[in-house]
Amino acid sequence: MKSTSIQSIPTLAQLLFVLLSTALLSSLASAQESAVDIIDAMEELYRGESSLARMTMIVETPQFQRTMEMESSSIGTEKAFIRILAPRKDRGIATLKLDLEMWNYLPKINKVIKVPPSMMMGSWMGSDFTNDDLVKQTTLTDDYDLTLEETDTEYRITLVPKSNTVTVWGKIDYNVNKELMIPLSQNFYDDSDRLIRKMEFSEPREISGLLIPSRMEMIPINKEGHKTVIIYDELQFDPPEIDESIFTMRNLRSRF
Amino acid sequence: MQTASLAFRNLFRNTRRTVLTVMLIGFSLTALIVFDGIMRGMITLMVENITGTLTGEAQIHRVDYRENLDVDLYLDNAAQIESQLQQDASLQAFAPRVISGAMISSSYNVSAGLVYGVDAQLEKSISKISEAVVEGAYLSGEESELLIGISMAELLEVGLGDRIVLTLSEVDNGELAQALFRVSGIVEFGLRELDENFAFTNIAAARRTLGMTDQQTHEYALRFVTPLSLTDSSSDLLNELNNGEIEALNWLELNPEISLILEISRYSSLMIGAVLFLLASLGVINSMFMSIYERIYEFGVIKAIGTRPGDISKLILFEALFIALISCGMGILLGAAIGAYTSTSGIAFGEMEFSGISLNNAIFSEFHIIQFTQFPIYVVLLTVIAAIYPARFAAKIIPSDALHKSL
Amino acid sequence: MLLFKLAFRNIFRQRRRSLLTAMSLIGGYVLSVFSFSMSEGSYNNAITFFVQDHTGHIQIHKEDYLQRPKIHKSIPRPDELSAILDANERVASHTLRVFAPSIAYSDTDNTPAQVIGVDLARERATSTLAAKISAGAYIGPELDGEGYYSAMIGAGIANNLNIGLGDELILISQGADGSIANDIYRVGAIVGDRSSADRSTVYLPLVASQEFLSLPDAVHEVSILLKDDGLAREEAARLQELLPEFTVDPWQVVEATFYQSMQTDKQGNVVFLGIIIFIVFVGVLNTVLMSVLERTREFGVLKAIGSRPAKLALMITVETIMLTSISVLIGVMLSAPLILWFSLAGFALPEPMDVGGVLMSHLTGELSLYVFAVPMFLILGFAILISIPAGIRAALNSPKEAMRSH
Repeated sequence: MKSTSIQSIPTLAQLLFVLLSTALLSSLASAQESAVDIIDAMEELYRGESSLARMTMIVETPQFQRTMEMESSSIGTEKAFIRILAPRKDRGIATLKLDLEMWNYLPKINKVIKVPPSMMMGSWMGSDFTNDDLVKQTTLTDDYDLTLEETDTEYRITLVPKSNTVTVWGKIDYNVNKELMIPLSQNFYDDSDRLIRKMEFSEPREISGLLIPSRMEMIPINKEGHKTVIIYDELQFDPPEIDESIFTMRNLRSRF
Repeated sequence: MQTASLAFRNLFRNTRRTVLTVMLIGFSLTALIVFDGIMRGMITLMVENITGTLTGEAQIHRVDYRENLDVDLYLDNAAQIESQLQQDASLQAFAPRVISGAMISSSYNVSAGLVYGVDAQLEKSISKISEAVVEGAYLSGEESELLIGISMAELLEVGLGDRIVLTLSEVDNGELAQALFRVSGIVEFGLRELDENFAFTNIAAARRTLGMTDQQTHEYALRFVTPLSLTDSSSDLLNELNNGEIEALNWLELNPEISLILEISRYSSLMIGAVLFLLASLGVINSMFMSIYERIYEFGVIKAIGTRPGDISKLILFEALFIALISCGMGILLGAAIGAYTSTSGIAFGEMEFSGISLNNAIFSEFHIIQFTQFPIYVVLLTVIAAIYPARFAAKIIPSDALHKSL
Repeated sequence: MLLFKLAFRNIFRQRRRSLLTAMSLIGGYVLSVFSFSMSEGSYNNAITFFVQDHTGHIQIHKEDYLQRPKIHKSIPRPDELSAILDANERVASHTLRVFAPSIAYSDTDNTPAQVIGVDLARERATSTLAAKISAGAYIGPELDGEGYYSAMIGAGIANNLNIGLGDELILISQGADGSIANDIYRVGAIVGDRSSADRSTVYLPLVASQEFLSLPDAVHEVSILLKDDGLAREEAARLQELLPEFTVDPWQVVEATFYQSMQTDKQGNVVFLGIIIFIVFVGVLNTVLMSVLERTREFGVLKAIGSRPAKLALMITVETIMLTSISVLIGVMLSAPLILWFSLAGFALPEPMDVGGVLMSHLTGELSLYVFAVPMFLILGFAILISIPAGIRAALNSPKEAMRSH
C-alpha cells in the first residue's frame, strides 16, 4: 500500500497562466476587480494559450534527493507533453496528457503505458505531485466559491469547493504580492482548516518580458522531509514550434 | 426376572466397588456430553461468524466472477432475479451488492481498498454492518455516505465528516471515475481483513460512480428461513438459480476449508469418545472380574448344585446392565448440570483465526438430544459388551477349582 | 529389601488381578499419551512446513518493514551481513530478498504482480522455491544471449497475461529513487498452479531486481534457517544484540497470526486434556483402590499373624508403585511405535487447512519427551496418591474385621 499525499492543484502550466495573467491584467485593470472577474478574465486569457518550457525538478525525501531536467509543452489545460532530459537513466521518458487521460512512454522497454485509475493517485515521477494533479481539470470559478481579501501588501483569494466538487481539499488560498502582482504562496487545507500542503513562489525573474517567480516549492506539511522544487530555466508563451502534432501517440513513441 | 433382581441386589453387596465403577462410567459419559456440547457451540459460533458477518448463507454471482472479482462480470437482470427471490418461501432475506476495488483518498493519505455498495435496509437482515458501527451512524440512503473500517480510518487519518475521494474504473469501458464522499460512520468488525480494507456506501451511489444501471449487480447475499443443515446443505432455490451464466452457492461451497474444519471436529468427537469408552471398558472389565473373584467360592457352590452356566453369565451381564443404567443416570445428571452452566456463561477462549475466520467470542456449549439418547445407549451397550468376557469366565468356572480357592 | 522382594512376589502371585490392574493402567497410559500427542502435535508439521517453505526460522529487516513495508526500508551492504551469518555455526543457511509491488505487462494485458528478487543459489538451500517449479527450469542469474534477465512467474500471471516459457515479460514499478522502474525479462520457468499462494508472484535474480528498482547493494529481507528448530527465539535475540541497527524476528513474530491461533487452540486443548486426565484419574482410582481393598481379608490375616501396620501400608504402596511402573514401561513400549507413526505420517486431511494464513495438510501428533513423560508422572502420581490412604486404611483395619469382610 503506497501512501502518498494527494493534491488536486491546477496543472503546472495552468498555474503559470494564473500568475502571468494576473501580472498582465494588473497593468490594465484597477485593483477593485472582484475575485471572480479576475479569475474569469484569466481563464479567458489562457483558453488557447500555449507554452513551451524547460525546467528542473528537484525531489527531496528523507531517503533520497533526485534532480531531473525536463521539457514541457502545453496547450490550454487540456493537452500537455512532458519529456525527461536528465538524468541519463530516465532520458526519453515522456508523459502525454489529453483531457482526463494520461500515458507514459518508457524508452527502455519501448512501450506506452496508459496510466490506469489505480495509479492515478500515485506520485508522478516520484515527486509530491500525483498523476491525478497533472490530469485533473478543475475549473476554478465553476467548481469553487471565491472570495477576495486585501491588505496593504497582499491579495488573498480564498477558494472553497462547492458541495459536489470532487476534491480532497476543504479550502485553497492564493496569496499574491499586490505591488509586483506575483504570487507568494498557495495553501491547501483540509475541512478543519488545517494546513496540509503549501506551494511557495520565489526568485522572480524576467522571462520573455514578464516578471515571473522562477522557483516553486511544493511542501507537504504532514510528511516531514519531503519537498519538490520546480525551477523554470526557460519559458515561452505561444511559441511558433507548438502545434497539435506534439500531443499525439506517435510523438510519444518517437525516437528522441 | 429372578436373575434380574438378584443381579441388582448383588450390586450392593460391595457398594464401594459399585460406586467406583459407576463413577468411572458415569464421568466418562459426562465428559463426552460436555465435550460434545462445547464442540457444537464452537461450530455454531464459527458458522455464525462466517455467515452472519458479511457473507450470508448463500450467494449468487455471475459465473467466473469470484476468481478475480472482475467488475465487468455483473448480473444484469436484477428485476428478474429479485422477483424470483421474493417469491421463494425458503428465503428469509436477500441483499444486492455492487463491489469494486478502488483507491480511497483523504487529504492526508491514500489506500487501496474494496468498496461495497449495499442497500442499507435489506443489508440489515443479512450482515452485521450496522452492528459494527462504532462511530457515527449506519447508512441511511443518502448519496455521499461512506462507512470505513477503523484501521483504514487510522491510515487515512480521517474522522467523521472528513472528505474521501474514491477513484476507480467504470465498468465496461474502464474509464477513470472519481466521486466525493464524506465519512459518515466508522465500523469495527474485529476482523483484520475487514477493518483494514473495506468501505461501505449506498448501492445507488456505487452504481452511479461505476456507471452501472439499477438492473446491474455483482452479488446477492441470501439468508434462509431455516439455516442450512451442515450435513445436507442442498437447497431447491439454489439448484434452480444455477445455470450456465449464474452460480448460486451456499456458504459451505464458498468456503470449502470450513467443511474441513467441521470434519476434523467430528473426528475429534469420535476420537475422544473412543478414548473415553476404551478407558471405561477396561475399568468395567476390571471391576467385574474383581467382583467375580470375591464370589468365586459362591459360584463354585451354585454350579456344583446345578446352576446352568448360561444363567451365571446372564447374572453377570445383568449386573453390568444395572451398573450401566445407574452410571448413565448419574452421567446424564452431571452432564446436564455442567452443560447448563456452560451454555449460559460460556467459555472464553481468546483469539483464534482459521481460514480467515476469527473466533474471539465466548463459546456457549449446546445441548443436543443425542447427548442424552445416543451416548447413554452406547455406554450401556459397551458396558454390557465389556462384561461379556468376565461373564463367560464366570460361566466356565469349574466347581472343584473354585471351591479350593480361598483368595 | 525384604519388602521389595515381597512386593514383587505378591504381584506375580495374584496374576490375574495384577494383570487386570496393569491392563487398566497400560490402557490409561497409552490413551493419555495418544491424547497428549494429538493435542500437542498437528502444529509442528505445519510450522516446519512454512519455515522451510519461505519464512525461515528467523527474518531480518530494517526497522518496521515487516509491518509497514516501504521500499526505502532496506538493509544496506548485505554482503557484510551474509559474512556474519555464514560464519555462524547455528545457522544452516540463509537467503536475501528484495520486494516490489509491480504491474506485469504483456503486449495486450496487464496484471498486478508481486516482484521478489532472490539470491538464487542461497534461496535454493533455504526455501522450497526450486521444488515448486511446474514448467521450465530454475533460472540462473546471468543475462541471456539477448541481454535479458530471466524470470520465474506464478501460474496466475502466466494465465492472465497469456504468456509462457520463452516469452517476454514487462515489469513496471516505482524505484527507490522515485523513478519509474521498468524493464523486460524472459520467462524461464512457471511456478506452482493457479491456486498457489504465489500465483501472482514474479521471481527475479537478486541483481536484476536491484537494478530494476534502483536499489544497489541493498535488500529488504534476510531469511535464516537454523540447524535446530527449537532455538528460533533464542538465536533471534542473540542476533538482535549483535545487529542493533536492524530488526531481527523469530518466526513466531513473522507469522504472528498463525502463532496466536496455535496458542489459543492449544489452550483449548488443555480443556480436552483435562477431561482425559480426569477420566484416567478415575480409572486409576478405580483400579488401584479395588486392587488394594479387595485384599482386605488377606491383610487382616497378615496383621493377625503379626505384621506391623506401618510395614503393611508400606508394602502396599511399594507394590502399587512397582506394578504401576511396570505397566507404564510396557505402555511406553506399546505406544512408542504408534506415536512415531502419528508424528511422521499422521492422518491426511482431504484438503489443506488454512490456519492463520498457513496451510496444514496433515493431522499429525507430536513425538517428544513431554508426550511420554507427563502421562507417566501423572499416572504414577495418581497411583501413589491413592495407594497411600488406601494402604493406611487397610493397615489400620482390625484383623478381626478384615478377615470377616465379605
